[in-house]
This record gives sequence, structure tokens and C-alpha cells, in this order.
Amino acid sequence: MSNSRQKMEYLPVDASPVKSFFVYMLTRDISLEESILDLLDNCVDGILRNRPANSELKPYSGFHAEIELKKDSFMISDNCGGIPWRLHDYAFRMGRPSDRKLDVPGGVGVYGIGMKRAIFKMGQQCLISTQNGPNSYEVEINPEWIEDEKEWHIPVRAASKSLSEDGTTIVVLDLHSHIAKRFAEDTESFKARLNDMVATHYAFIIDKGFQIRINKDLVKPRPTRLAFRKGGAKGPRIQPYIFKTKTDEGVEVFLAVGFTRPIPSADEVSSEQEEKKYSSLEAGWTVLCNERAVLYCNRDELTGWGEANVPRYHTQFIAISGIVEFKAADASKLPTTTTKRGIDTSSRIYLQVKNKMREGMRIFTDYTNKWKAHAEESRKHIEAAGVPLSFEEIKTASERLPFSPTKTQMPGGKQYRPQLPMPKRIEPRTRRISFVKDVEEVRSVAEYLFDDPDTDAARVGEECFNLILKEARG
Amino acid sequence: MKHPAYQLRPNKAIDRLTLIDALRRLAKLADLSEYTYYGLGGPYLEDFRLLYEFYPEIKMISIEKDEETFKQQKFHAPCGTLKLKRAQFKSFLSHYEAKDRKSIFWLDYTGLEYGQFEDFMMLLGKVAANSVIKITLQAEPREHLRKAKEFREKFGALMPNASADPPRTRFGFAYLVQQMVQIASQSALPSAMPAMYLPLSSFYYSDGTGMFTLTGVVCFRSEVNKVRDAFESWEFANLDWEKPRRIDVPMLSTKERLHLQHCLPRQKAGKVLRRALGYLIDRDLRSSEFKLAQYATFHRHFPYFMKAIP
Repeated sequence: MSNSRQKMEYLPVDASPVKSFFVYMLTRDISLEESILDLLDNCVDGILRNRPANSELKPYSGFHAEIELKKDSFMISDNCGGIPWRLHDYAFRMGRPSDRKLDVPGGVGVYGIGMKRAIFKMGQQCLISTQNGPNSYEVEINPEWIEDEKEWHIPVRAASKSLSEDGTTIVVLDLHSHIAKRFAEDTESFKARLNDMVATHYAFIIDKGFQIRINKDLVKPRPTRLAFRKGGAKGPRIQPYIFKTKTDEGVEVFLAVGFTRPIPSADEVSSEQEEKKYSSLEAGWTVLCNERAVLYCNRDELTGWGEANVPRYHTQFIAISGIVEFKAADASKLPTTTTKRGIDTSSRIYLQVKNKMREGMRIFTDYTNKWKAHAEESRKHIEAAGVPLSFEEIKTASERLPFSPTKTQMPGGKQYRPQLPMPKRIEPRTRRISFVKDVEEVRSVAEYLFDDPDTDAARVGEECFNLILKEARG
Repeated sequence: MKHPAYQLRPNKAIDRLTLIDALRRLAKLADLSEYTYYGLGGPYLEDFRLLYEFYPEIKMISIEKDEETFKQQKFHAPCGTLKLKRAQFKSFLSHYEAKDRKSIFWLDYTGLEYGQFEDFMMLLGKVAANSVIKITLQAEPREHLRKAKEFREKFGALMPNASADPPRTRFGFAYLVQQMVQIASQSALPSAMPAMYLPLSSFYYSDGTGMFTLTGVVCFRSEVNKVRDAFESWEFANLDWEKPRRIDVPMLSTKERLHLQHCLPRQKAGKVLRRALGYLIDRDLRSSEFKLAQYATFHRHFPYFMKAIP
């Protein structure tokens, strides 16, 4: 027995990748909508690669991407500068070689998988045409190439015609049947969902001039805006909590959390629990990595809700929203996953910043709890802040604020804690009375008191109390 | 509970009769006696009365949450076979089980709330194949003027463009509501599911407040052509989510109607009917001819309102 063991010769095993892993497995990690956002990320990286460095307000102005969804094809075309021939190894290779240097400061491409994964997610045949200065070429991927496990080279040919502007067009044909069905039969719901994702995840880039069209319809950005009372007398006022820092690894962080709208009244909270009234609230955290949202309006533990003294998200907190931005020349330092639409929860920088997210959030959950019995009065404070500010406007306005250093948790960081208005008496001199009565009975009393059966129930109850109080005190 | 004078809403009356029309074509697909009609018929149960008149073989169930309206319904029940249930529609829906029995639902809402779309989506996933679901929603742009943000917060998940403000015109708003119904139906029954929701007709009208109404059928994707064939020749068919059709009939006297009757049906009816009357029935030539054309389109569905002495 032992002799036969000695005779056995162990040869090295084959650990080379198989194409089906990339084509059929890796594509499961990402939704169709997210894979299309990956293609848009490439467009933006193209702009960053090709545009001259400047600090304009609208750095993406003049650049556009058009997405076309058809029952038998997908197309995205842009004028974002095309893929330089020197990058062909990166652009078309499955994964990014470790010795490859950073070519797009401020981009988000790290893993070298986005474009390929998006293509394989959708179909079996693809033509990529690109023009970058003197380079103008076409790359075609077809089902035979996908099936051939030995062939890893993709033929490249000179482009048959030149484009009016440098850019890239990707056409995916031979769509997987379930994708073709989504484009053909779920057309409106898919387009609406994609439009919504682009409008929210790309809000900051669109706001800076980038134009994205889906089936010819221009996507309007939907940025989160926070109430920010500027100027005027000193004292308590509605402003966001702000934190900023730059880490030793070169990651810039800017965080703002505050109110997007007045806090809800008790009636609004209870009616929302009975029947969902809002389908698209801005409450929660939006996390940006190099200007692209990797999370939008998240309301769970991922962003600190329900952790370390922060209450779990609840309808009463619908007014609270936060934005945190991570910016780095080297995208690998950003706390994102390979899908770029998720947070790497083990990232050290994210865990540190999350502490600050919770700290900021607590100010506003505390405010909401203290004012919830006086929502109408609180509304006056929040509305007094005027038109809510966009993230960029908050950054500019924050330059005048007195920041204080955060020494222990985030060395090098600075924060601004707003002094929010608080109800005059901390020890309540008031008591809440609430009771339930038959709708028709409430309507009858409302008509009796106000000549209007539809008068708000809270007002009816309060007026009843006032009348009896007057009687009781003679 | 106070209700508007439902019986005096001519445009809604026409809409009810177009449902009767649609059911006539539905009979090509299945025996109507296999169906149960569920409605939120209000105190006078007008839809049930009509249904009983045309298709007595359809079983009927009314759902009403309000106690006083429920009593009024008992008083006005058009026949002994109508079952009156007192329940919240939402709670009725959560207990509803189709068990392969075909249904006709009319979600006849008077407002516009996200929860109503949720009811609709829940129902789409529950009904048996070849069931009809009609949904009526308020489509009054005046209600949402200067409240664009609130509208987006409420309906963003169903809007084709969740960053846009709601339109200000009656038609634009009604079309947006139709698109929201379309997106809701595709979300509830995505292409991965064997069944789909095919629209049959859609209208918008106003008897004081703008309303939108859409009738559709839940059918197997593999049988969709059979359903399309049954409805293709219907004059009010809207099988591809095209723009909704307006109902805006003029108030004509019985004498006028009898006088116009012999000219109908015909093409370019607006001009012909205006000439036949010899005077304008609305503020100018264009609107008079438009209203008379509306009358021509819907004259067979237009009830006579007469003074009766009890």
C-alpha cells in the first residue's frame, strides 16, 4: 500500500479561469439596472480621462450618453472621449492586472470587470466601437468566442467609419431571453426604474452638466436637499450636522445630515402605518464615491440606523436625510464593493465615518422625538430655513461655519454641530390626550362646531376640550 | 356618510356602460356565468343594477366599509342575488382567494393615493386568468398644483420620470395616471410571470372633478393574442396603452336627442349634428362640434335623464 503511494506522481492542477465563470456566474452578483450604471461609470471615467483639469462649476457639460433599450438589442453610446488604444489591455481584459497603474484619477473603475459583466449580463453578441484621437477601432464578442474555453484573444479591427466626436458605442445583440422579455414586456416599469436609479445615483454628475438619455428621454437629476438656515441673528436654528476630513490615504470625506422637510405630525405617522402613503421618500443615507451614489436613501444598519443609540428607522423620521461623500484619486481606496453599488462594510474608513454618521443622525432623531408632539411649531422652524440646499450649496455655505476638531475618533477631522431649536420646557408642562371615536360621530361634532364635517379630527378634539375647560373654570 | 349625486354624473354613466360593452366581448373568451363581480358600488349600487340588467348570470358581491352607506345599500339592492359585504376593501383583499374562479373587480376609488395602487398590484397577483380589473382614480391636476414634491414623494416609485412635476392639464395628468397604472401592472406581473395585465380601454372625464379609468384583463402571456382578437374590433379598445380617450358629453334635451338620432352613426358627426340642430350648444363653433362629436361617439351609452314624479 505504502509503495503504491510513493509511485504516484502529482502533477500541477489547472487553476486557470473558465469563461463560463465570467459569463454566467459573475453576472449573478449584479442586477441588470446596476450593470447599466456600470456602463455609465465608464462614460464618466472617460470624461475624467479626457477632459482638461479644471474647477468649473459644470465640469461634465457638453458630455452625454444615450441608452437605447429595444426588444432585441441594447445600445449605449457616448461622446466621452473613447477608449485609448494604450488601455486596451485593461478595457477588454477580464479583471485588472495588479501592476496596472492608475489611469483615471477620481474615477471608479478598479476591478476591470464592469463593462464585460454588463455585456454578459445582457447577451451573447456585442460590438464595441470606439474612437479616441487617432485610434478608431472595433471589438466584437460573439457566442463562438464565449463558448471557446481556449481562446482568450478578441480580434480587433479598424473602425469602418469615423465618428464626429471621440466616444464609444456598445451594442449588445442576441439578448438572453429573460433580458429581451424585460425590455419588450416590462418596458415602462424597467425604464422608469432605470430612470429613477440614474436620476438618483447620478444626480450630482448630471447636476454638473452630464446629460443622460434613456430611449431619447433626458433624465432629470433628483438630488437630496437639506434645510440650512443661513445668516441672520445668532442662536438656535435649523442647519445640518457637517463633518469633513482628509485621510492619510488621500480620501476626502464630506458628510451632511439634516432635514429635507418638516417633521411629520402624529396623524401623518399613524396614517402612514395604516396605509403606505409615500412610495419614494428621500429619508435615509446616500453614500457617494467619487460623485456616484453607491447607496441611495438607505435606512438600515448599513448606514447606522438602529445601532449605538440611534433608533431604528421609523416613519416618524421621514424628514431625516444624510449624504456622505468619499473622494479619492485612487478608486481602490473607496469603500465600495465590486458592483460599485454597495458598501464594503469591513472598510476601515467607512467604519470610522459611520461613527460620525450616527453622531449626526442622533441630533436629528433627538430633535424629532422632542418635537413630535408639537410638529406644527417645529414646521415653522424648518420652513424658516427657506429653500433647502443641494449638497454642493451646503459645501459652499459650510465654509463660514465654525468647525471644531474631532481629535479622538477621527484625527484630522472637523465637525459642525448645529444648535437646533428645542421646545421651551424640557420637563413637559403639557399632556397628550388621544382617543379614538367613530368617524361619523367625529364628523357630526365637526359639523356642530365648525360647520364643516371634514375638519381635522385633532382640531375637533381640541375644541371639545377647550369648551369643557371653559365650562369647568366657570 | 354623504355622497355626491352619483346618479347625475353623465360621463361616469357612460363609463359604466362601456364596461357592459367590454363584458359582451369578454363572453367570447369565457362563459360569463363563471364570473363574480366585486364592486364598491356606493349607496345606490348603480353598477350592480346595470350588471343585473344586462348579465344576470354574473354573481355579484358589493364591499362597503361604512355602516350607514351599507344600510343604504341594503335599501337600494337591485336584486335578491346581490351579496352585500361590510368590510374594509384592504382587509377583504388580504382574505380574497380566487381558487381559479374568474372575477371582475371594479376598484372604483374617488381619490388618488399610493395605497390604492398597492391594492391594485396585490389584486393582479391574486386573480384567476381571464379576470377583469377596472380601476378608477382621481386625475385632477388642480389638486397637485404647487405640491409637486409631495406628489413625487407619494408616487415616485410609479412615475415614468420620478424627477418631473405632474402635468397641469387634465389630459396630461390622466395620461400620467395611466402610465402609473401601467408601471404598477408591470411591476406586479413582470415578464418572468406567466400572466400579464392587458389594457382593454381607458378614459378620462370630469363630472366636476377629473377622473381616470382603465379596464384590463389578466391573462396568460401565451394566450394574449386570443384576448386581443376578442377586443380588437371594439370601438373603444386601447390594447397598447395608447392615450386615454376623453368622455365629455353635452347635456342635450330629450327633444334634441330624438332629433339627432336619425343622423347617427356617421363620420365627422360634429359638423353634421351641428347643422342638423342649426345652433351652437356650447360657447363657440369648435367646442359645439367637439361636444356633438362626443355625443355621436357615446350616444348609445348615454342614459336619458328625465324628471319623474313618484
